[in-house]
Amino acid sequence: MFQNTKCECGHQNHIGTVLCESCGKPLQDSSDSTEPLEMRYDGVARKSQKVNPSIIDRVWNFFSSVKVAVYLIMITLLGATLGTVFPQESTFINGDPATYYKATYGTIGNIYYKLGLSHTYTSWWFVTLLVMIGTSLVICSLDRVLPLYRALKKQQIRKHLNFLTRQKVKYQEEMKLDVTPEAWVQAAVKPLKRKHYRVHTEGSALMAEKYRFSRWGPYINHIGLIIFLLAVLARSIPGWYMDQYIAFPEGDIKHIPDTNYYLKNDKFTVEYYKDNELSKEMQGQNRLVAKRYETQAVLYECVDQCSDPSKEPVLKEVDRHHIEVNEPLNYKGFMAYQTDYDPTLRLRSVNPEFRNKETGEVYGKFMLEMRNSKLSYDVGPYHLELKEKYLDFGLNSDGQPVTKSQEPNAPAFLFLVTGPDLPNEGFLYFYFPNQIDKQRFNQQALNEKLSGDWANKFDIRVNGMQGVGLSNTSYLTIRVDSAMPFIWIGATISMIGLIMGFYWNHRRIWLRFDGNRLTLGAHTNKNWYGMRSDVAGILKQLHVSVDPKSLDNGGDKS
Amino acid sequence: MKKNRRLVQIIILLGVFILGGYAIGSAVFKSSDKPEIGSKPPTFSLVGMDGTVHNLEDYKGKGLVINFWGSWCEPCVKEMPMLENEWRVLKDKNVEIIGVNVGEDALTVKNFVGQFGVDFPVLLDKEKLATKKYAIGPMPTTYFINADGKITDIYVGMLDKDTFDKQLEQLN
Repeated sequence: MFQNTKCECGHQNHIGTVLCESCGKPLQDSSDSTEPLEMRYDGVARKSQKVNPSIIDRVWNFFSSVKVAVYLIMITLLGATLGTVFPQESTFINGDPATYYKATYGTIGNIYYKLGLSHTYTSWWFVTLLVMIGTSLVICSLDRVLPLYRALKKQQIRKHLNFLTRQKVKYQEEMKLDVTPEAWVQAAVKPLKRKHYRVHTEGSALMAEKYRFSRWGPYINHIGLIIFLLAVLARSIPGWYMDQYIAFPEGDIKHIPDTNYYLKNDKFTVEYYKDNELSKEMQGQNRLVAKRYETQAVLYECVDQCSDPSKEPVLKEVDRHHIEVNEPLNYKGFMAYQTDYDPTLRLRSVNPEFRNKETGEVYGKFMLEMRNSKLSYDVGPYHLELKEKYLDFGLNSDGQPVTKSQEPNAPAFLFLVTGPDLPNEGFLYFYFPNQIDKQRFNQQALNEKLSGDWANKFDIRVNGMQGVGLSNTSYLTIRVDSAMPFIWIGATISMIGLIMGFYWNHRRIWLRFDGNRLTLGAHTNKNWYGMRSDVAGILKQLHVSVDPKSLDNGGDKS
Repeated sequence: MKKNRRLVQIIILLGVFILGGYAIGSAVFKSSDKPEIGSKPPTFSLVGMDGTVHNLEDYKGKGLVINFWGSWCEPCVKEMPMLENEWRVLKDKNVEIIGVNVGEDALTVKNFVGQFGVDFPVLLDKEKLATKKYAIGPMPTTYFINADGKITDIYVGMLDKDTFDKQLEQLN
């Protein structure tokens, strides 16, 4: 359909224009209407409003709709809510999620898992929604900000009479003038400037404007949000984001999977509240409540032989930190947070002595680690070779020695001892570091069976607790998040945009004389009360007394 | 001016398509992170009891059975002799059997292998990295991978000869 978009002032407007881009004359409704005008985007056509839209235009138009954007945001909010019902797979869940949800939350948990809600925020549909919101943000903004910018850049000073009379703040009066209208207009410049308005005059017409920059607030906010969203999406780039929950037994150096880093829990300490420090209800129940726990961590970087598992990696210490809750280790964006601990003490090493049982002579001590045990030890003139090792000693159904688990619950070591005055082939000796295991598995009888008399001549034993190394376990959350600085930048820009839009508002006053008749219209995007008192104040200085309330031309009250 | 506008539209939509496509694509890809039937097995690089490094790629073009075990796990120990026998037969039939020991040190594994007369390749996964990648829960767990490098089955629990042979048929 052909539509005449040329205004009576001679300006050729775009299709979809509500108010003439030049003189402000309402184009789309009948001229006898006196309803306040819809001033959104100054009545300019959005970029996408077109006749005969192509497919690209249709896609564009879909995303340029604020209504669509609002629905998208609502759906996303609903979706995000679903993800908070149960803990997400990526957080603090140990073990197989396939069984975890059913075991912990029952059938509902199982349904939750089956629906994929256990990883809501990385699911395809949630990411799709985020991408759509991002697209909508870009297109909505672009579609409106450019025409708005152009409209505000080239504002005509003398506006159409209808444009003025249909503003929400309106004043129209036949004036008794001592001076010419032109001179009256010039006299109005000073009080307006005092109120920080920028004033433009053209004969007997005037336009005053202030805080136009606040109109850009929403768009700057959107730029910030887009950066924020892109940063969140960037987490899926390999190497940008990692989140792991790892157990670090005291004293162990552990490789952090998928990185070049190794972390050692040098020492873990936990301090509990004394009973009298607890609240009344909790006292006297023998409760252990941690006051403070801390991991003294050492971070290593692998510098050589990193990818060859047959060689020992060459490590270089790069950082050291006492990790506490809210005091993570941070090395170039590699973060280790204190998350949990297991105070159960496990046997880590013993430092036993090898001695002659008959004479009581001690030949020496050696350090025996439960994990990564060395295979041979030299103690005085004797040589001990580790032949077999069982961390959790037991006998299987065939009566053979086996380890029942990987935990050093009942460690047992079989040594071949060689040295002076011993047979050439040496003798075998079973050693149980735990006193209780010595009796339970009858170390003495076992050794007698293996080596006869030799077992009675020699002894391996720990002399006191100082020879026993115990360790507990610290749980750390290892996190790398390269997107974080961008998230902060995005959030900051977004905040700046919000402040611009919230704390300032764009105010404009137009006035024109037709003969001696003054017509004034004013517009703002919020705080109409302030706008009206601005106008009344200025008129008062020009000796026109008017009640601010009388300037209200209807429309919404704010 | 008009042409410019169309160009801007196309560039923006294209950018959204590429960025969004990448984000959505990686989300879809991520959900199938765990190895499952029909997917490709995760790569590994582990030291064997023979002292050399074994990679998944070394077994390209062959049927492959990967058995995750530990000496403390009784059913693992019980199925060992069966696996050993099968290995001797299958060696010449383009199917390899490898055992991956979960987290034990070389001494323990060496003794175990000696004790039970295991000759098929046994790899050490001391840091349990491969174990994690293969999402091993209860043990033993055995992966069956065909010559095209696709997982045909993941068997959790002790295998007997019949079940094993049935699984083998699927490999070909």
